[in-house]
Amino acid sequence: MENEAVVMKNVCKDFKVLNRHEGLAGSIKDLFSHDYKTVSAVKDVSLTVNRGEIIGYLGPNGAGKSTTIKMMTGVLEPSSGEILVNGKVPYKNRTENCENIGVVFGQRSQLWWSLPLIESFKLLRDLYMVPQKEYDEMIELYRSLVDIEPILHKPVRQMSLGQRTLSDILAAFLHNPAIVFLDEPTIGLDVSMKSKIRSLILGLNKEKNTTVILTTHDMGDVDALCKRIVIIDHGQKIYDNDIEHLKNYFGSYRTLKLCLADGTWEETLIDEKTTDVMDVIMARQKETKITDIKILEISTEDVIKKIYEGGSV
Amino acid sequence: MNPRRLIALTRAGIMESLHFRLGIFVTLFANLIYLVLVYYLWKAIYDSSGTDVVNGMTFTDTMIYLILATALFNFLEMFVVWDMSRSIQSGKIVLDLLKPMRFRIYTFWSYSGSHVVQFVLTFIPTFIVVMIVTGGAIKMGINLLWFVIATVFALIINYSIEMMVAPICLYTESTWGINIVKETIVLLLSGASIPLAFFPEKVRMIVDYLPFRAVYDIPLTMLLGKNGSDTPEGLLKMFGLQLAWILILTVAGNLFWNHAVKKITVNGG
Repeated sequence: MENEAVVMKNVCKDFKVLNRHEGLAGSIKDLFSHDYKTVSAVKDVSLTVNRGEIIGYLGPNGAGKSTTIKMMTGVLEPSSGEILVNGKVPYKNRTENCENIGVVFGQRSQLWWSLPLIESFKLLRDLYMVPQKEYDEMIELYRSLVDIEPILHKPVRQMSLGQRTLSDILAAFLHNPAIVFLDEPTIGLDVSMKSKIRSLILGLNKEKNTTVILTTHDMGDVDALCKRIVIIDHGQKIYDNDIEHLKNYFGSYRTLKLCLADGTWEETLIDEKTTDVMDVIMARQKETKITDIKILEISTEDVIKKIYEGGSV
Repeated sequence: MNPRRLIALTRAGIMESLHFRLGIFVTLFANLIYLVLVYYLWKAIYDSSGTDVVNGMTFTDTMIYLILATALFNFLEMFVVWDMSRSIQSGKIVLDLLKPMRFRIYTFWSYSGSHVVQFVLTFIPTFIVVMIVTGGAIKMGINLLWFVIATVFALIINYSIEMMVAPICLYTESTWGINIVKETIVLLLSGASIPLAFFPEKVRMIVDYLPFRAVYDIPLTMLLGKNGSDTPEGLLKMFGLQLAWILILTVAGNLFWNHAVKKITVNGG
């Protein structure tokens, strides 16, 4: 097998959207309207993902993340450009491509709602034609990574959101796919479930050398899982490198935290190249009493925020 | 089409349907009310006609036909259009498209389990009751075999009709009205609400060749041994019609679906 799991070359995706008009009269007008506008969801994105990598695919809401993922899974056909997933063109061989990928969309489930989890597993085993031996081994691996006993015989609709997400992730890895797409897997989960899911993903990636493409808005996920991140905004790739590089680039930024007399903490992000931290503290001290001071290195979250807000790299 | 996948889907479908067992009893109860209504309606029609035989069917014939048509309707009823429009609106369709099987085959076999359950729990009991009550009006012979084969074909045709309509929601993003129109047309032209024998001659000539008839009227006619379905030529003609429609609708449905699936724009973010 080649070393590249995904290769994208100059991929673009345009959608044709009807220009809707306002009000009742507008709605009636829309019935016969041919007034379409083209929306470019993805513009000229090139990307290579190697086997066994976990990459964080980030971007603000509406940046084109899901569109890219749908193109990689073969559900959407790119308007132009080339995509190869496991060496094949996904939209031309959709069913074939599906045998080698796993997908989790954090907000919806592929499990059979009214059946116990184990039945969904058995069904997926047969749908993906997984040999019994490999299936048993996979279940063993799951057992070693998480405590699946309490959920295995529970109907999916009785599960908590955390249990369901966990189950969906296990279901996506069940046929040992080469690539797993995780679309906001930790959305809406509590802290302990998040960390459980992160270590599960990491464990499965290590054991099976599965390539993981992760989209998330939770920087905790990124810090825990990804060495490399790709950021897109307005359909364009604006960053693609190690997470460390990113932090170094923004290395001159510091988060200054000041504790005021009433016990509240005030946060300011400061670029040391342009502003002196001491000046800020002194200026603030003239206005109010400061009881404590903390200076922190910039967090991933702040870095990403800077980038989304237009701090180019 | 590997049997392992198909059996697994059917099995899961059976388990899911049995899970909603209360729904099955409600269906049976609703049928009972409907049948009482049908009984009195047709009794009035026969009483006012002044003869025992209307359009070549006795009152008993008509009742057997309509009762079994209702039972068959429950068994054949699919919610493909409804389910698909919902899963398009919610975006869930992506997950179905990401199964390692062709969508048309995957969807069909996802429903097969509930067909099995409906057949055993609603059609067979109804059939037995009709058989006992009418005391031998239904012949017990080779016609049962023809009926079963014709019903399997009917199932495929019914699914194909659904799959001709369902992709429309990819264009309109709403299907409620379209679904109602489709259901009315199928129920009327298939003979499920009025036996086709009661249609005017000219309308019948057209209806006889439409696919809707192949869903309800052909299996029932074969079961009751009417319209020459007890002769080899009659059988051949009816099975021929069913097979022709399976072929036409499958080819057309595939073409339509392949075009429609390109339309998928599922709320990408």
